[in-house]
Amino acid sequence: MIRGRVLGEVWATRKAPRLAGKKMLLVAETCMLPQGEQPTGRVIVAMDLLDAGRGDEVVVAFGSGARNAEVPGSRDVLVDASVVQIIDGTSTGSTPLISS
Amino acid sequence: MILGRVIGQCWAARQSPRLDGNKLLLVRPLAWYDPDHQADHLVCVDPLGAEVGQDVVVCMGLPARLALGDARHPVEAAIAAIVDGVEVYQDACREPAFCFAHDRQPESMQER
Repeated sequence: MIRGRVLGEVWATRKAPRLAGKKMLLVAETCMLPQGEQPTGRVIVAMDLLDAGRGDEVVVAFGSGARNAEVPGSRDVLVDASVVQIIDGTSTGSTPLISS
Repeated sequence: MILGRVIGQCWAARQSPRLDGNKLLLVRPLAWYDPDHQADHLVCVDPLGAEVGQDVVVCMGLPARLALGDARHPVEAAIAAIVDGVEVYQDACREPAFCFAHDRQPESMQER
């Protein structure tokens, strides 16, 4: 799983059958550097079930974990990354870091 | 998933029977999170009928095989969606363009 920030949205009318009505978000992975949170330049398209909004910090799961986010054990939905958490706060080391 | 653009197509008289004549598209990744090899483009199975020049979302792994019916296909990437528009929030990431290299920007990208 990775942590990233919602960078944008991808919308499409012609999709795989089980993806109809699902939002697809562009998530830019971020990493914590001394000077703060920096995008690593890697971007992923993730299916969104939690209605993450603009600029939210999220956790993205990959592979079959992403498919379990929707229906546990589902195999035929054409997804390999989905948003599983919208982060309210992060603590690294001893200092609590409220990031958003 | 991977955001990419269809740059071509490939077909073959002699191919694995388990591909059962499916159309294979060449997709150049615009945003590929974790490329396991330095590929300029991917070859994907296309159940949706995308054309060259369209932006698409590609899904990798087991679901790509299941998109052809069952898991017994020699396939690893399938097209999950044909993109109509990509919207990038300007302030979400300090340098959104940093993630879309100049020559890899999606066609229908708007900044909001």
